[in-house]
Amino acid sequence: MSRATSKPAKDGAVRTVLLPAPSSPLTAFRIQFGCGSIDDPAGKEGLNALTALTIGEGGTREMTYRELTDRLYPMAATIAPQFDRETTTFVGEAHRDHLKDYYGLLTGVLLRPRFDDGDFQRSRDLLLDGLTSGLRGNDDEGLGKAALGYLMYEGHPYRLPDIGTVQGLTAITLEDVKAHYLRCYTQGNAVLGVAGGYPEGLIESLKKDFAALPPGKPARAALPKPRAIQGLEVVLVEKPAPATAISIGFPIAVTRSDRDFYALLVANSYLGEHRTFNGRLMNKMRGDRGLNYGDYSYIENFVQDGGSALPLPNLARRQQFFSIWIRPVEHPNALFALRQAVRELQKLVDSGMSAPDFEATRRYVLNVSRLWTQDFSRRLGYRMDSDFYGIPSFIDRIQEELPRLKVEEVNAAVQRHLQGKNLAVAIVTPDAGAVKETLLSGRPTPITYQTPTTSAILLAEDKEIEAFPLPINRGRLAVVKAQNLFER
Amino acid sequence: MLDNGLKVEAVPFDSPGLIACWTVVRAGSRNEIEPGKSGFAHFFEHMMFRGTETYPPARYNATLKELGADHNAFTTDDYTAYHILAPASALETIMVLESDRFKNLNYSEEVFKKEAGAVLGEYNKNASNPFQALNETLRDAAFRTHTYKHTTIGFLKDVQDMPNQLAYSRQFFDRFYRPENCTLLVVGDVDAMKLDEMARRLYGDWKRGSYRAPIPAEPPQQGELRAEVDWPNPTQPYLYVGYHGPAFSDTGTDLPALDLVSQLLFSESAPLYQNLVVDEQEVDVLSGGAQDHIDPYMFEIAARVKKPERVAYVEAAITAALEDLQTTPIAADRLENVKSHMKYAFAMSLDTAGSVARNLAHYIAVANDTQAVNRVYASYDRLTPEDVRAAARKYFVTSGRTVVTLAHKPGGAGAGR
Repeated sequence: MSRATSKPAKDGAVRTVLLPAPSSPLTAFRIQFGCGSIDDPAGKEGLNALTALTIGEGGTREMTYRELTDRLYPMAATIAPQFDRETTTFVGEAHRDHLKDYYGLLTGVLLRPRFDDGDFQRSRDLLLDGLTSGLRGNDDEGLGKAALGYLMYEGHPYRLPDIGTVQGLTAITLEDVKAHYLRCYTQGNAVLGVAGGYPEGLIESLKKDFAALPPGKPARAALPKPRAIQGLEVVLVEKPAPATAISIGFPIAVTRSDRDFYALLVANSYLGEHRTFNGRLMNKMRGDRGLNYGDYSYIENFVQDGGSALPLPNLARRQQFFSIWIRPVEHPNALFALRQAVRELQKLVDSGMSAPDFEATRRYVLNVSRLWTQDFSRRLGYRMDSDFYGIPSFIDRIQEELPRLKVEEVNAAVQRHLQGKNLAVAIVTPDAGAVKETLLSGRPTPITYQTPTTSAILLAEDKEIEAFPLPINRGRLAVVKAQNLFER
Repeated sequence: MLDNGLKVEAVPFDSPGLIACWTVVRAGSRNEIEPGKSGFAHFFEHMMFRGTETYPPARYNATLKELGADHNAFTTDDYTAYHILAPASALETIMVLESDRFKNLNYSEEVFKKEAGAVLGEYNKNASNPFQALNETLRDAAFRTHTYKHTTIGFLKDVQDMPNQLAYSRQFFDRFYRPENCTLLVVGDVDAMKLDEMARRLYGDWKRGSYRAPIPAEPPQQGELRAEVDWPNPTQPYLYVGYHGPAFSDTGTDLPALDLVSQLLFSESAPLYQNLVVDEQEVDVLSGGAQDHIDPYMFEIAARVKKPERVAYVEAAITAALEDLQTTPIAADRLENVKSHMKYAFAMSLDTAGSVARNLAHYIAVANDTQAVNRVYASYDRLTPEDVRAAARKYFVTSGRTVVTLAHKPGGAGAGR
């Protein structure tokens, strides 16, 4: 495996990130544009996503979408658009037997999009349905996370979901999509990522072909500092729900660029490593108490990559947030779970990690991070994200930073960046009135076990958790019906 | 294979310094034969993380944490798989841990009851998704006696009763967690000789069992069945159709032919897909296929329809396409495109040690033989338009069809509640 090269080409020209592996039969592409939902104009929320979908699941000037899928199909090759707040990435992979044909289709889609009205309407319906039936109707956990962003980033361009709002999507025209494409899909805004067994010459073709895009790049929207959360700010999202989904979070001023990020990486793994029994949240909430299926925490935006437990690459952001994801809890235990999660966070801040916990967790992160980039496409995605953050390689940086960390530094970083007093909280519940009343009352919310626990240690801790004080910000305790959220 | 019946397989793969270590237990929700015990195989998968005397959960987890291992498990209708991705140098440590829990699992009643809460939580996390309700309702309607009547997570009432089933959990372990029912599969940077030696040393004293689950055969369905789900949240309507189909076979043509049907009708380039999704835009989600199962299962079709009043139209369009397959032979070039797609899709999916292991675990489960994968792909190559037509005629019959629709109804109960 050769080392990566990335070329920060002259301003205004396309950049490349290359990971050649000549013996591989596969070539992975990640073609990224530096635009995202933060570029959506007011009243046209969802424009960036709709543009990416209309292009990525649409035809080219030479062929209809139907003809294009007929060509892609025998190759088992795909072109998949992915969009976030600040970046839009077209992800694809092809076998060497088809690389030339695939390349022609991929560049056709990106450089000569058809902008067919049927493709546009279909894409808009898909996003609208994803918002109304999907997010608001049938995905309580996703809704909780989206509502957290809505509360946490009030007054900030990160506030809305990438797919926008119902009224925004409805207002967008095909002309708007074309204009967004012309503005954002430019040479200076493009990063061409290629990995695997591609032949010599492919990259030259790629650079030459992408020179057909308009030169330069649009001005990058400035990001304000996110507002300070004051006390526990709670949004209760009301809808019929089989159990209560909860998300907690607050913005943090740390990204992969910062040294403190690597200290927090260790501390967060200890608090809530995604889908493992390494974290305290998981062990104490699910393991000891059977409250739900899982409880995890994050120090940056996290989307799981398909069925794996790995993070999806190419969702880099200039600003990040800390969050806790409490998977749906039986309704009577919802506020006990909220209290327990906040208490565990506060305990980490107050007491820090012990030296043995620090050592064990550091070893884990050092080893497991090597598993994050097993295939070419993921390796490429990580490499492009490293460029975004202005670091040589995220995985290498972990290997460099962690061995020299000291437990005191980790605990100090936790105190600098994490806290348990000023939190945004989103709760998806069928009975917002009752939850609101209980939160305002401040009264204890004991756990109801399916079968009582007998451990004296747990019972004593339960007493502390059930009455753990939550500094509710009474002026910012909002109730919203799910069907009204993200309407405009 | 060891004397006690445990199969041990080493599959070298180019992943320097890395191995995927899988234990496949050929017991899933199919094996839940007693009434009231649906979901138990999956629940038991959870209990396997509750430790032994030598390795209580904290020690088990700490050992894997130190290795930086990515480990988890999952359960399906036919099998349960425990998987660990870790440095190749850790193979012996992993085998010590795994052989210990498969031989010596030990948990208290209290721990058992707590884990039942986590399983209920898993049911709950999926319950806001219509597909769980659709699948649950379809199986319950379409199967009368076979255990495929319930989903892998189980009926809600059974999940809620799990805390009371401690004795059954021990019986389940005693019945199915036996060497003759399991395969240890290691993919990646592995030495077959060393693996064999370690397996003999660590698993050799694992006692063989003798239990065979009397899984009831499903009698032929006698006529079309229909069911409706009232969904409490606003949603577009869903149409979910099941036709009784064949069991997995790596020698017959029926299931491979239905795999081709799945592509011919429901892949993105299929005319039916293009008509309903791209041109007419009546539907925004469309899929269909016959998943491999040990016993005869179903060819399932799912569609999310944009307008409630068009559900009947979409159902008629799907039925017409299935009927057309029974009369009009598929053009040879279309069949070749499908075969090409399947071949490349499969080859391209084999890109990591973990994905190779996942694919092989599936064939260990349904055929008890990793070589089945080669026979299945060889049989795709041999299939003719007439094979497709014959399978369509045999299985897409009204009397074997069950149709479930899901639509928004304020106050609706969903499924299971």
